[in-house]
Amino acid sequence: MDMKSTVKRSKQKLMGDIKRHRAFYALLILPICYFIIFKYLPIWNGQIAFKDFMPLDGVLGSRWVGLANFTDFFQSFYFTELLRNTLFYSFMKLFVSVPLSIVLAVALYESARPRFSKLVQTMTYLPHFLSWVIVYGILLVLLAPGDGIVNDIIKFLGGKPIDFLTDTKAFPWIVILSDAWKEMGWGAIIFIAALMGIDSSLFEAASVEGASAIQRVWYITLPSIRPVIFMVVLLRLGTILDAGFNQMFMLYSIPVFSVADIIDTWVYRQGLLEFRFGLATAVGLFKGAIGMLLLVFANKLVRRISDTSII
Amino acid sequence: MKAAVLKKIALILALALMAVPVFAAGQADKSGSTQAAGPVSIELWYGAAITEAGPPPQDWAVLQLIKEKLNIDLKLSALPSNESDQDVKINAAAAANALPDLFMVRRDPWLNLIRVGLVAPVDELYAMMPTRSSVQYDADSKVFTTINGKSYGLASPGSIAKNEGMLIRKDWLDKLGLKVPVTTDEYLAVMRAFTFNDPDGNGKADTYGYGAFIEINNFEEGLGRRMDPFMGAFGVAGTWNMTAANAGLNVRNPAYYDALAYVKQMMDEKIIDPNWLSYKKDDFRAAWKQGRFGIMREQNAAFGAESNYAPFDKNFPKGEWIVIDAPKGPKGHQSVGVYTQAFRIYAVSTKAAAAGKGPAIARLLEWMSSDEGYYLLGWGQKGVNYALDANGVPTPNGLPDPEQAWTKPAAQVFTQLRNMVYYNGQIELLSRYPTYTTAVSGKTMSALTIMRDMQKRPWTAAIGSDALPPPNADLKRFYEQGVLEFLTGKRELTKANWTAWVQDFDRLGGKEWESAGIAKAKESGYLK
Repeated sequence: MDMKSTVKRSKQKLMGDIKRHRAFYALLILPICYFIIFKYLPIWNGQIAFKDFMPLDGVLGSRWVGLANFTDFFQSFYFTELLRNTLFYSFMKLFVSVPLSIVLAVALYESARPRFSKLVQTMTYLPHFLSWVIVYGILLVLLAPGDGIVNDIIKFLGGKPIDFLTDTKAFPWIVILSDAWKEMGWGAIIFIAALMGIDSSLFEAASVEGASAIQRVWYITLPSIRPVIFMVVLLRLGTILDAGFNQMFMLYSIPVFSVADIIDTWVYRQGLLEFRFGLATAVGLFKGAIGMLLLVFANKLVRRISDTSII
Repeated sequence: MKAAVLKKIALILALALMAVPVFAAGQADKSGSTQAAGPVSIELWYGAAITEAGPPPQDWAVLQLIKEKLNIDLKLSALPSNESDQDVKINAAAAANALPDLFMVRRDPWLNLIRVGLVAPVDELYAMMPTRSSVQYDADSKVFTTINGKSYGLASPGSIAKNEGMLIRKDWLDKLGLKVPVTTDEYLAVMRAFTFNDPDGNGKADTYGYGAFIEINNFEEGLGRRMDPFMGAFGVAGTWNMTAANAGLNVRNPAYYDALAYVKQMMDEKIIDPNWLSYKKDDFRAAWKQGRFGIMREQNAAFGAESNYAPFDKNFPKGEWIVIDAPKGPKGHQSVGVYTQAFRIYAVSTKAAAAGKGPAIARLLEWMSSDEGYYLLGWGQKGVNYALDANGVPTPNGLPDPEQAWTKPAAQVFTQLRNMVYYNGQIELLSRYPTYTTAVSGKTMSALTIMRDMQKRPWTAAIGSDALPPPNADLKRFYEQGVLEFLTGKRELTKANWTAWVQDFDRLGGKEWESAGIAKAKESGYLK
C-alpha cells in the first residue's frame, strides 16, 4: 500500500513537473526524436554484421555468415597497421589537442585585455568551420616541397626541402598538428565555460596571499576544471577508434598509406566502394564495442582516483 | 502496476520496431506505382557534361516534350563529378534497394551490382532502339557489358581514344638551343636543362623538366597515366599486357624494374616537379599554366580548348607547347600510354525492369538518338543555343543573343545530358573543338588539330583491359603503395628487393589476379 502510494505520488510529481516546465520538455522532443531515429532504430541493421548482406533480400533475408565479416577484418593483410595507425592518431590527438585547448582556455581566461582575448578566441575557433578540403589547400600552399612557404624558408636557411605531405616521417605530425590547429579553439570553449564557473573570491584570496599567476593557475584554475577535463578525456576515449576519417581522407595519398591508412579509410575502400556492407558494419560494431569497454574501464578508473564520472 | 509499466514498454518497443523498416530499411519498392494510363515515371541519374554548371531547370522544355511525345515523366539527378563520390552515392542507394531506374555507373561498382542482382539484363532493349543501337552500341560495346552471357548495361562511347599526348615547351627548347628529345637519354638531358638552366630566363631556379600527378584507374595502375610515357619506353605502360604472346600484369614483367629505375633517376636528380606526389588534377593544371615545368602528358582539350589555354596564353604570350613523341626506350619501345575503347555504362535497375519500365527506357533512349533528341540534348535549341554553319556543323556564331550559345555558362545547363547522345562523330568533334585565335598572343589553336596529332603518335593498344577483373582493395593498396615506396626511397630499389616485393605481391593475390585477368581476356577475345 505504502509502495503504491509512493509510486503514485512520484508519478503525479513527475507529471506536475512536466506540466510546469513544459517549454523545456517541448525542447527535448526534437533531440529525443533525433536519437531514436538516427541512433536507436539503426541498431536493428547492426545484424548485417553477421550476414552476407544482399539488398534484394533485405536485412532479415540475407544469409547468416556468423563471424565471417569480423574475421575478414581481423585477418586483413593490413589489420595490425590499421589498428596501430588508428590508435596512434587518436591518442596523439587526445594528448596534443586537449592540453592545447586547456592552455588556450586558461590563457584567454587569465588575459587582462578582454578585447584581445575575444579576438584571439574568435580567430582560434574559426578554423573549426573550415572543411578539410580547404585545410588541405592551405597545407599544400604552406608545405609543398617545390614552392611551399615553409620549404621556401627551409631553403632560404640552407636546408633541404621536405615533402611534408608525402614523407612518412613528417606526415603524422602534419595530421596531428593540423588537427590541433583546426580544433584547438573549438575544444577550448568547454573549458572556458568551466572556468567561468570558478568562484572569483578564490583568486582574490590567492592574490592577497601573494600567489603568482602561475601558482593561481596551478592551485586554483586547473583543480577547479579537473572534472571537465576528465569528462572530455572520457568522452574522447569512447570514440578512440575514430581517428578522423574526413581529415585523413583528404590528406592521405599513396606514398603515405603505411602511416596514414586508418580503420575508417580502409572501411571506406573495402566496405563502401567494394559493396561489402556486412564488413563495414562489423567494423563499426567492433569500434563501438572497443569504445564502450574503454569508456567503462576509464570511467571506473577515474572514479577511483577522483569523484568524477560520466556514468 | 508493474504489469502496466511492462505493457507500456512493450507497446513502445513494438511501435519502434514497426517504424524500423520505415527509417532503417531504405525506400519502399515503388514498382507498382506505374499506372498504365498516366506517363511512365523514369528516374535518371546522369553524369553531368559540365560539372561546374548546374542541372537543367525544372521547367526545361525538353522534359515537357518528353512527357507529351513519349509519355514519360523524366526525373533527373546529376551524379557527383568525383568518381569515388559517384560510387558511394550509387552503392548507398543500392544498399537501400533505392537505385533509380536508369543510371550511369563505373565498371567496378557495376560489377558488384550485378553480383547482388540489382541491375537487370538489357539484351531485349537493343532491338527496341535501332537508331541508337546503330550509333551507340556496337559489338564491342555489347561485349563490354556482357557477363555470363547477358548484357547488363548500355555502354555508349566514352572519351575519345588516344586524346592525350606528350607536350614540350618549344620556347624553352629554342631558348636553350636544344632539339626535341627522342630517346630516354635525350629526355633526361632536356629535363635537366629545363630544371637547371633557367629556361624561362627569370633568374630563379623555379622550373622543372617534367610535371605530373598520380592519376590511377584499373587499366593504368601503379604510377598512373601521367607517367605512362616513361613506362611505355620500357614496354610496360598500363596495368596489363594485352598481347597474346605476353599477356599478364606488367608489374610482374622484369622490365617494370628498369622503368621504375628510370623514373627514380628523374626523382633523384630532382628534374621532375617535386610536388607531383601531392598534386591533384587541378593543382597540376594550374602548375603548367604557371610555367613550372616544360614536359607533360596532357589531354587535348584540357590543354588546347580556349578557356583552358587562356591562362597560359596570358601568363606566357611567347610560350609555346608542341606535341612530340613519347621517349623511345633502350629496346625501341615507345608509347604515350595505353588506350582502350572507353565506354560509359548506363544500367537499368532490377526494380525498374520488374516494374516493366524497360520499353519506356528504350523509347527514351531511342528518342535521344533521333535527330530531334540528338541536337536538343547535344547543343540546345536551334536558333537560340546554336546555329548550323554551311557544313551543317553546330556553331555558336550568328545567334541573336551570343550569351545563350551552348558554349556559354548561361546555356550550359541545357546540354548537361549531351554525353548520353554524343558518340564522337565528326559533327560533334568539329563543334566541340572549334579553331580559335588566342586572346593575348594571337595564335591559331584547335583542340581538334592537337588531338589528331596526338592520335598519330605511338600508343599501346589495351582494348578490353578496363573490363578485366579489378584487384581486391588490399592488393590494390599493396601495389600502388609498393611501387611508390621504391620511388620515394622508403624501399631501396635493388633487384633483390624488387623480386622480394613481387613475391609478396603474388602471395597477397597478385598471381591469382593475373590468372583471372588472362582468363577473362582470353574468354572475351581481347588478346591480340
